[in-house]
Amino acid sequence: MSDPRAVDPAVDPDAYPRKVLFVAGAGRSGTSTMAGLMQILGLHVPRPEVPADASNPKGFSEPQWVVDHHDRLLREANVQVSDSRPDAWFETGRVSTREPERIATAEWLEGHFAVNSELVVKDPRLSWFLALWRVAAIRTQATPVFAAMLRPPAEVVGSKQNYYANTLGSAHLTASWLNMLLHTERGTRESAASGGRVFVRYADLLDDWTRTTMHVGETLGLQHVLHADSERIRDGHRFVDPSLRRMGQSLDDLALPPRLHELTAETWTVLNRLADPGGDTPDEHATLDELRAAYTDLYAEAEAISRSSVVAAEHRVRRAAQRPGQGSGAGAARPAPSAAPDHAPDHAADRIPHGLRAAVPAPVRRGLRRLAGRERR
Amino acid sequence: MAAGAAGRGLTNREGHADFDIVWPWTEPGGLRPGSTAVLRVKDEALSLPWVLPPLLRSMDEVLVVDNGSTDGTADVARAVADEMGPVAAARLRLASYPFDVARAGAEHLAVHELSVHSLAYFYNWCFAQVRTRYSFKWDGDMVLTTEGESSLADLAWQVGDVQSIIRVPRHALYLDSARPDRAWLDLGLRNAEEWGFPMGPDFVFTKAYEWEVRTTPQPVRTIGLPFGLCVELKYLDGDEFAHWTDPESFATSVRNKRKRREWEVFTALQADPDAVLAGVHRIDAPPGVHVVDHVTRTWLPQAPRPLEVGTVVISDDRLR
Repeated sequence: MSDPRAVDPAVDPDAYPRKVLFVAGAGRSGTSTMAGLMQILGLHVPRPEVPADASNPKGFSEPQWVVDHHDRLLREANVQVSDSRPDAWFETGRVSTREPERIATAEWLEGHFAVNSELVVKDPRLSWFLALWRVAAIRTQATPVFAAMLRPPAEVVGSKQNYYANTLGSAHLTASWLNMLLHTERGTRESAASGGRVFVRYADLLDDWTRTTMHVGETLGLQHVLHADSERIRDGHRFVDPSLRRMGQSLDDLALPPRLHELTAETWTVLNRLADPGGDTPDEHATLDELRAAYTDLYAEAEAISRSSVVAAEHRVRRAAQRPGQGSGAGAARPAPSAAPDHAPDHAADRIPHGLRAAVPAPVRRGLRRLAGRERR
Repeated sequence: MAAGAAGRGLTNREGHADFDIVWPWTEPGGLRPGSTAVLRVKDEALSLPWVLPPLLRSMDEVLVVDNGSTDGTADVARAVADEMGPVAAARLRLASYPFDVARAGAEHLAVHELSVHSLAYFYNWCFAQVRTRYSFKWDGDMVLTTEGESSLADLAWQVGDVQSIIRVPRHALYLDSARPDRAWLDLGLRNAEEWGFPMGPDFVFTKAYEWEVRTTPQPVRTIGLPFGLCVELKYLDGDEFAHWTDPESFATSVRNKRKRREWEVFTALQADPDAVLAGVHRIDAPPGVHVVDHVTRTWLPQAPRPLEVGTVVISDDRLR
């Protein structure tokens, strides 16, 4: 038996080596379809799951605990799901170094290996915490593997605007997509050499999910996929709906700032090449490093010249915090939609666009939190 | 040194112009994104096969500065990287610093910090070779565990341009060359020093009493990794204290508690390997597995968390 991924079909699935498939990528990129297919083919999505809703009628295949865990950690890190700050990766990385979070994450994972030796963890917030999950996998003697979903950024932005009624603007959402994809690639790169990651185009998954999932199964050594029986394959066909991909707009439709447009287009081109067989190469990684540096520079420039907006937002928050009884009320600060689609803003500060909030210097933020009675431990 | 940090570089007192220091952030093009581990080594050929692979997998670049080794340290470093393949091989950079450097303690205190023999000057010269925006000081005997490698690999890119220091706890692992299946791990010491620093004029080396210290702006952010992610190899049949002037140099100050603990464990194990001090774990590897591999890939990654780490020993790093 020369292929290390091959196993004797007679082997009991309980004897499969422990593996966790992390389905990463931007929300609305087909992550639910990928995780759902993996579940149908025999991998286990830890329960309870997030219930289906109108934005995703076939279900999310997201463990509720993971969503809650990530939401809490994002709040602690002061990072939004769609966050365009390059520095935000250090903030979630910092939270991921905390021993109590590592213990909680590993214990949760360990509990679910009792059900199945191959698990699927998927959540649109997942990319922010890949470091934490990799450690949890190490501690539970499991191999972490990653599937990153790719969908044209214009479609992702359009889909988010449709389903989340997000009015923060296409430039912000596109920048968030760029930030997430460039850093998701970087955060999973160390698994590339060992065959531990795969990039998957959503369009390919909808076009021919059998070929695409077999490529994923073979690349990542997922035994349940490699040995799925006919009934599971029938279920897969019942599950996949090619009409799911309803968006058809292009980057040109988004009217982006020229440099952002250029960087997004180029990043999409290179990421696409990673999804080709044999395309995940050091040369492409080097190009992505350059694109990541260019995006970081672009963000730093934008941040540097928008100081007036930050100061104005800062003053609005300060005034709101100083008004008794209005610290969290409507009108305390001019309402602005939250970047996070998952929870309503509870505080005046949360109504300020996160990009502006993040640009407020840390000492000033601490002072504002103190004034608002929201000091952190 | 602060004035020197603000300028273009440093000139040494001995007039070795070829070893003057040019701060890399003043070079055309500046520093590129990424992290570099800087190892200043002397006779670490024995340890590097364990030390380098995790670093070469997790860092953008690993700079090994050889300081007068006689055991083929540089050749071993190159061989280890080459064996790992072209990506790792391209990440290793070798340099040589030819001057004798003062030993920690009294000898260091007597040397001017702008002398090529000063620890501070040596470190500044080493870090002036760095081309990335973030740097990790690393010792030639520090081995990352599986979890440590993963943690550092992520932080190495996550840190980006954030001006934060990173602390990495480490635990001494005492080895007996005659028994590759046995080691003693000291978890009786709580020790988390600052190893990761941004590159820039705010973070250069200057002189402290027994050794060098890296300057920091005020205030400065720091974050720390959990315990149990890095071990420091100590050879019971080696001279582990050769880089110190003498034991008297670490005999009294609160700054040197770590070194005194190492001396205590080292001498106790030399006298009687079966008389294990409180907090020290004797670890036996399975047949055919070297104990360093066993500790870093199995024993520590699978040890119950939070890791039980004993007596609190503060260093000045913990004052932040």
